[in-house]
Amino acid sequence: MMFSRNMFCMAWVLVGALSSFGVNAADINIKTQYGNVVVSDQVKRIVTVYDGGLDSAFALGYEPVGAIATRGGDNVPSYLQERAKNVPLVGGMQGINIEAVIAQRPDIILAPWYLPEEQYALLSRIAPTIVPTEKGIHPEAWIYELRFYAKALNREQKAEEIIEQVNGRIAELKTLVEAKIPENERGASLLRWMPQGAMVLTTEFFSNAILGQTGFNVTDAGLVKKGRPHSSALSLENLSSIDNDWIFMATLNDEAKGALAAAQTSPAFARLNVAKQDHVIPVHGQLWTSSIGPIAANAILDDIQNVIETKLK
Amino acid sequence: MMSWFRTPPAQRSVVSVFMPVALLLAFCCVSSLLLGAGSVGPNASLQVLLGKGTSDAIFIVYELRLPRLYIGLTAGLCLGVAGALMQSVARNPLAEPGLLGVSAGSAFTVAVALTLGMSLSTLPIELAQIGALLGCFFVIGVAKMQGQRNDPVRLVLAGAALTSLLTAMTSLLLMYNEQAADEIRFWVTGSIAGRNIEQLTRVLPSLLIAFVCVLYVARPLASLALGERVAIGLGYKPSRIRLIVVLAVALLVGAATAIAGPVIFVGLVVPFAARALVGPDIRRTLWLCLPLGPLMIITADVFSRLIAQPTEMPLGVLTAIVGAPVLLAIVRAQRLPTL
Repeated sequence: MMFSRNMFCMAWVLVGALSSFGVNAADINIKTQYGNVVVSDQVKRIVTVYDGGLDSAFALGYEPVGAIATRGGDNVPSYLQERAKNVPLVGGMQGINIEAVIAQRPDIILAPWYLPEEQYALLSRIAPTIVPTEKGIHPEAWIYELRFYAKALNREQKAEEIIEQVNGRIAELKTLVEAKIPENERGASLLRWMPQGAMVLTTEFFSNAILGQTGFNVTDAGLVKKGRPHSSALSLENLSSIDNDWIFMATLNDEAKGALAAAQTSPAFARLNVAKQDHVIPVHGQLWTSSIGPIAANAILDDIQNVIETKLK
Repeated sequence: MMSWFRTPPAQRSVVSVFMPVALLLAFCCVSSLLLGAGSVGPNASLQVLLGKGTSDAIFIVYELRLPRLYIGLTAGLCLGVAGALMQSVARNPLAEPGLLGVSAGSAFTVAVALTLGMSLSTLPIELAQIGALLGCFFVIGVAKMQGQRNDPVRLVLAGAALTSLLTAMTSLLLMYNEQAADEIRFWVTGSIAGRNIEQLTRVLPSLLIAFVCVLYVARPLASLALGERVAIGLGYKPSRIRLIVVLAVALLVGAATAIAGPVIFVGLVVPFAARALVGPDIRRTLWLCLPLGPLMIITADVFSRLIAQPTEMPLGVLTAIVGAPVLLAIVRAQRLPTL
């Protein structure tokens, strides 16, 4: 009896000593969607449960120790696969595998703004879980999220450099676009091609925002309801309403080019002026319709630059 | 006119029922050319049919709505006839063509193809049909292995078992391949939009075979309805009749699934409606199924375009919405049209 009480006292002393170490380190206090979270300024093991968090972490110079598969895939988004080839997956479409997250002993978890509270309750018991306060689809979301994660990872200076680099590149491409494409031929829309027709993506979307900033005039033909990520699949009879100077066509799989071929076999699509002019650009759906972050921004800018170089003489 | 309503269904002349239904179908076909989810309204479409109209309108009427009408007619025809055959051979009013494992078979092959990296828009149309036939042959094989060929209940049970198995496997495949799941989500609800005539011509051979089978089997099937012994006494072989019927059903449903996806409910409702109109004799019911199946699909398709403009509703949802009230009305009728 006496022995066990002694053990108990010793344990308390140990806990006290450990927590005083914690106070001594310079902690970062960050306001998240689910309240204030304290993070050590020396995080090493990062787990991301969000493509945007993974992108930001890599951009800020970290290699996470866990990530989840992207929507519609069985791995991280393909534009990040080269960087993330050593990052183990801790979840996929069936959800986050909590045990796999625990096994990575993370110091911090980067989560999306849409993380449900029940999941937060679980994850926050494993490590400080960072959920952005800003919600919804927003053109500037990638900048906000980068700064937010950078604050938690103590790399705020680096984040500003990245934002400056991307903005610089956008401005560069904008002069190129304005020089090469006449002002009345810069209309563009981002579509997802479905067997029964097309879905238009909202202009609020990250990739559309980048496209807009490089000088394209991005429209959704008034088809996307406010707050929705995309329209419903349009009837083929209404396809002419999305005719534009440029169409960026995405599919959820890797075969955006296959989707373009499929679309072109549809007589309703082949009739569009944009198809006749060969101004339909197949793009990767994972990158253009479900990714976000500075590395994604650069990859999208690569695609746009490629269009200018190959489609315009 | 009143006497027509008072006559028991089985004593009405087929022509007196067939003609009004066919007229109704003709009306629906014209509507399906005139109405759409797009900006080309009935007036503009009428101009096109009279040989005038803008190039946009001509394109929409002749290149989008007309192929869709043909596909709808064919799919409706297949499903209606297959339903009547199936209920008759199983002697069970709840039997529907999907019970043979046909729909589940084609859904499974389509899911496998999508998982292997094919895309729905480039999928060969024969694939769904092959899946349907494989599913059906498997069911026949199992029912035969029992040595109880003469028991239609076993056929339906084996079909139900295979359907559950294949549905589970399909779900499993799609669980692990979300991209395929995204694509098949649209396929399973069925649609006759965006098809072209070329797809129709590719299922025509199997339709011809099925047609010959139905011609051959209609009379023996009617005697089979009077009982196994009567059929044998008249010189028919019940097991062979069943085999031919099942083959015809698989060909018909396979063709319908290949061109329109697994459209539900048509195979169940149409034979019921036909029996309510002309009685249980399969030779009479089949005649009525010819216009009733297309009528149901085309009505549903026209609604599917009008409800959610500028987009379209999935056809499978609309066939259920159109078909359920019909079936409920039949259920509430004083005399249930039994087999």
